[in-house]
Amino acid sequence: MSVKHEVNSAPEAESSAKVANNVKDIMKQLILALYAALILGPFMLVVMTSLKTTQELYQNPLGLPSTFHFENYAKILMEGKMPFYFKNSFIVTIISVTLIIFFASLASYAITRLDGWKSKLMYGLFTIGMMIPTQVNMIPLYLLVVKLGLNNSILGLIIIYIAFAMPFATFIMVGFMRGIPKSLIEASKIDGANEWQIYSRVVLPLSLPSVATVAIFNFVWVWNDLLFPLLFVRTDSVKTLPLAMLRFQGEYMFDFPMIFVGVVLASIPMIVTYVLLQRWFIQGLTAGSVKG
Amino acid sequence: MKSRRILYLFLLPALALYIMFFVIPTVAALGLSFTDWNGISSNIPFVGLDNYKELLKDNIFHKSVGNNVKFTLVVLTAQTALSLVFAIFLMKNSKLNVVYRTVFFLPMVLASVSIAFIWMFTYDSNIGALNVMLGNLGLAKQSWLGNSKIAIYSLAFAQIWTHIGQVMIIFIAGLQSIPENLYEAARIEGASAWQTFRYVTWPLLIPAATIVVALTTIQSFRAFDLIFVMTDGGPAYATEIISTFLYHNAFINHRFGLASASAVILMLIIAVITYTQSKLLASQNKGM
Amino acid sequence: MKNKKLLSIVALITVFALLLTGCAKGGGGGQAQGGKTTITFAHWRPEDTEAFKKIIAKFEEQNPNVKVEMTITPSANYIANLQGMLLSGEGVDVFTTFPGSQFETIYSSNAYSDLTNEGFVKNFEPALIKAGQKDGKQYAIPYQLVYNIPVYNKALFAKYNIEVPKDWDSFLKASETLKKNGIIPIAFSIDVSPQQFINSMIMNNAPEEDIFQKLEAGQTKLTDEWFIKSLGALKELKDKGYFQQDVPGTKADGALALFAQEKAAMLAAGSFSMATVKKQNPNIQQGLIAPITTTEDKAVWKGIHTSTFMLGINAKSKKQTEAKKFIEFLSNVDIASQYANETGQMVTVKGAKYSTPELQESGKWTSVKTRFQPMYTFKKEEIKTAIVTAVQKIQQGISVEQAAKEAQIEVDKVIKK
Repeated sequence: MSVKHEVNSAPEAESSAKVANNVKDIMKQLILALYAALILGPFMLVVMTSLKTTQELYQNPLGLPSTFHFENYAKILMEGKMPFYFKNSFIVTIISVTLIIFFASLASYAITRLDGWKSKLMYGLFTIGMMIPTQVNMIPLYLLVVKLGLNNSILGLIIIYIAFAMPFATFIMVGFMRGIPKSLIEASKIDGANEWQIYSRVVLPLSLPSVATVAIFNFVWVWNDLLFPLLFVRTDSVKTLPLAMLRFQGEYMFDFPMIFVGVVLASIPMIVTYVLLQRWFIQGLTAGSVKG
Repeated sequence: MKSRRILYLFLLPALALYIMFFVIPTVAALGLSFTDWNGISSNIPFVGLDNYKELLKDNIFHKSVGNNVKFTLVVLTAQTALSLVFAIFLMKNSKLNVVYRTVFFLPMVLASVSIAFIWMFTYDSNIGALNVMLGNLGLAKQSWLGNSKIAIYSLAFAQIWTHIGQVMIIFIAGLQSIPENLYEAARIEGASAWQTFRYVTWPLLIPAATIVVALTTIQSFRAFDLIFVMTDGGPAYATEIISTFLYHNAFINHRFGLASASAVILMLIIAVITYTQSKLLASQNKGM
Repeated sequence: MKNKKLLSIVALITVFALLLTGCAKGGGGGQAQGGKTTITFAHWRPEDTEAFKKIIAKFEEQNPNVKVEMTITPSANYIANLQGMLLSGEGVDVFTTFPGSQFETIYSSNAYSDLTNEGFVKNFEPALIKAGQKDGKQYAIPYQLVYNIPVYNKALFAKYNIEVPKDWDSFLKASETLKKNGIIPIAFSIDVSPQQFINSMIMNNAPEEDIFQKLEAGQTKLTDEWFIKSLGALKELKDKGYFQQDVPGTKADGALALFAQEKAAMLAAGSFSMATVKKQNPNIQQGLIAPITTTEDKAVWKGIHTSTFMLGINAKSKKQTEAKKFIEFLSNVDIASQYANETGQMVTVKGAKYSTPELQESGKWTSVKTRFQPMYTFKKEEIKTAIVTAVQKIQQGISVEQAAKEAQIEVDKVIKK
């Protein structure tokens, strides 16, 4: 009896479960699609607005532009300084990120290898920096940088980025390196490797996921940062993109289309890099943070 | 023994730059919190604890702390819950899921100034997408950044919009690190979906959750750019948080000492909260 | 294997980038060369970039040994930047400041060079450069002249047969006529308008020019009649619906757009916004209008002016001579006129010639009895903020008494110190 009953009811239960699953699945896809629209919608709007005239924007804020006013872009690109700003941003970002990784990984390695209290002290000293709001040390930092003659120079910017990146970079890298089995290090020691060799041949290669995290975070941060260029850069030849953007926000005051031309131009390199390397962005982030 | 000494050399470049350009300016700022410096003068009057006493009594500072706590709580709850849901939806590495993850993470790569412009525009009373759509639906327009009751939530939403992808990714990694056989075991024992989540997923997700909570708290307490550009703490202090209070005092009111004192308090608040959170979550982990 | 490759790629990129830096340093100008002295000129008006570039080019032509480097920070960040620059001798040579608390702070920090005995001081209208004086000495020289009273649309006023109101009743009547015809009487923004519009409300309710000095000395309060009346006038306009809907959600750009599109007949801003309006709507005819809150015979003041964008020299600068040369050049009447006509801002230089209709319109106000903007007579910025906040609270529907009481609490906090 019971066997028969089961046979009869099984398909029923299965199909109702299937329906439930389908409903759930549709709900899920709906929620995801809605949220994706919420992310992409504003992006589309920004691009569309950047191709309108100001009058058109106020008459028809959400609609497509009647004609595409590419001259908005021409106006800003014609200024001729844009390639300069891109180049400066590029140089500052690449050098800073490379050195951040090099210095932070060396320090993190040392922290994981040092004895108890020394290691704790160093780790604490670095990571406490994550809690300090940047506005706090701005003025003393400015005085220092000027005294050293490092203001208004690309080198000065790079040095400051390295210093300010250390808390987060060591936090992530130390966390990751602590997860590397001690036996691996001991084994290479027995093989006669010195500290530099252990660092460069064993620990660093194994820490690549955390390197990726630190690289990506800092790449995004340095590329987009406004605060330090604002404080330390005066001349056009040293200016980076976000600072240039702020300038023409002022020059085109009250003018959303022109402001958004700036937003689009400054964001394109980052978005392209992101889409091309998104696997790295996302994988790097996860590997670094969860194991930490 | 000699080989270990080289470790100090390894520390040197990072430590030297960090101490020189981060620690020293910070300590200097700490010292300034005991002065009434105006930020320009070469005369720096020492006032002891006066700035701290003043902050304890200052109703605008109280309001900033209150707003900051409110902002953090809203972001923390909404962002954590929502990102966890998205993470569960998107944890499998299918093609479509990867596309969604890419899209959700996208705002993270934009400059905060750009994001502030985008949301200022979206929230605009007359030409903002939100009000135009409400108008088209025949609904009442809202003053998203102008209404002192709504403004802080509008800002919180922009904050969540920016950071949710990052938090979601951390959760996905946490979820993916849970061994499949545990779920199988749960299924064999006939656990419901909720029970599986409660007794299998959640305990193993706690390390990820700890990071998410700490990261979100620090980010929300340190939030500055978005609020500074979009409302500048207004209307009438409705969105003033500690970091904008600090900025206004340092650079508008010329009260650098008072600003430094509020920064020290901000630091303490962040330290206490993140410490408590990590202890709480750790104890929950042990309790399992 | 793979990792080694990665490391070598990283190394390559570094070398490449370092090479680029070298190029950038060599290629980029900005450094003083061959006995040239470079002075830095800091200000907060990015919209003046082009105009100043032309002026600087002329200056460098006449003074081949001096190079001027302009550094512009929009006003929200300007003081933060300036503070840092002033602290060091090399940061900045010529800089601009706002009158009032900013001037006071920099003066009390001994950061201004004394300009009293410089010949170029005589090139300016004596009455307009008082804001930069202290104890009979000239420390900074205001370059711009601004009227902080609403702008109005002449064509709209004419269309509905409205004459420019001379007292409060006719101001209300004019607003009513506009409202009845579906025009927003006054476009008001929550960020810029409060500290502009309140001047007109205060000027005849508290006609004594030292009212805010008295407030800072504790001799009068914001809960006293003059301020209650001033806020009350604003409240009356709000309650009668003479501002656009949702003032708290309207920023300066939104209010300006309403006015430029001729949906609003007045804009609660100042003469400084006329150039921007003109850019958005070249056909608009603009004038300035001062709301008089009393009857005509009791109106002591007919308008508000400010002289601002005050040029000063960093006392620590080692290039005093060159810096003074630059200010002298700016005070030349032809240069000042050029600046005015290209930027749409009036100037304080004697005999400046205005060629645009907007400037000519504003120019008429020089013969009117206007009062220096009360909102710039504070020594302490907190008091200005308290008053601006009170105005914002009125716009949010809070009662006059409540807003005034809360503002006075802030004032008490400051003057107790």
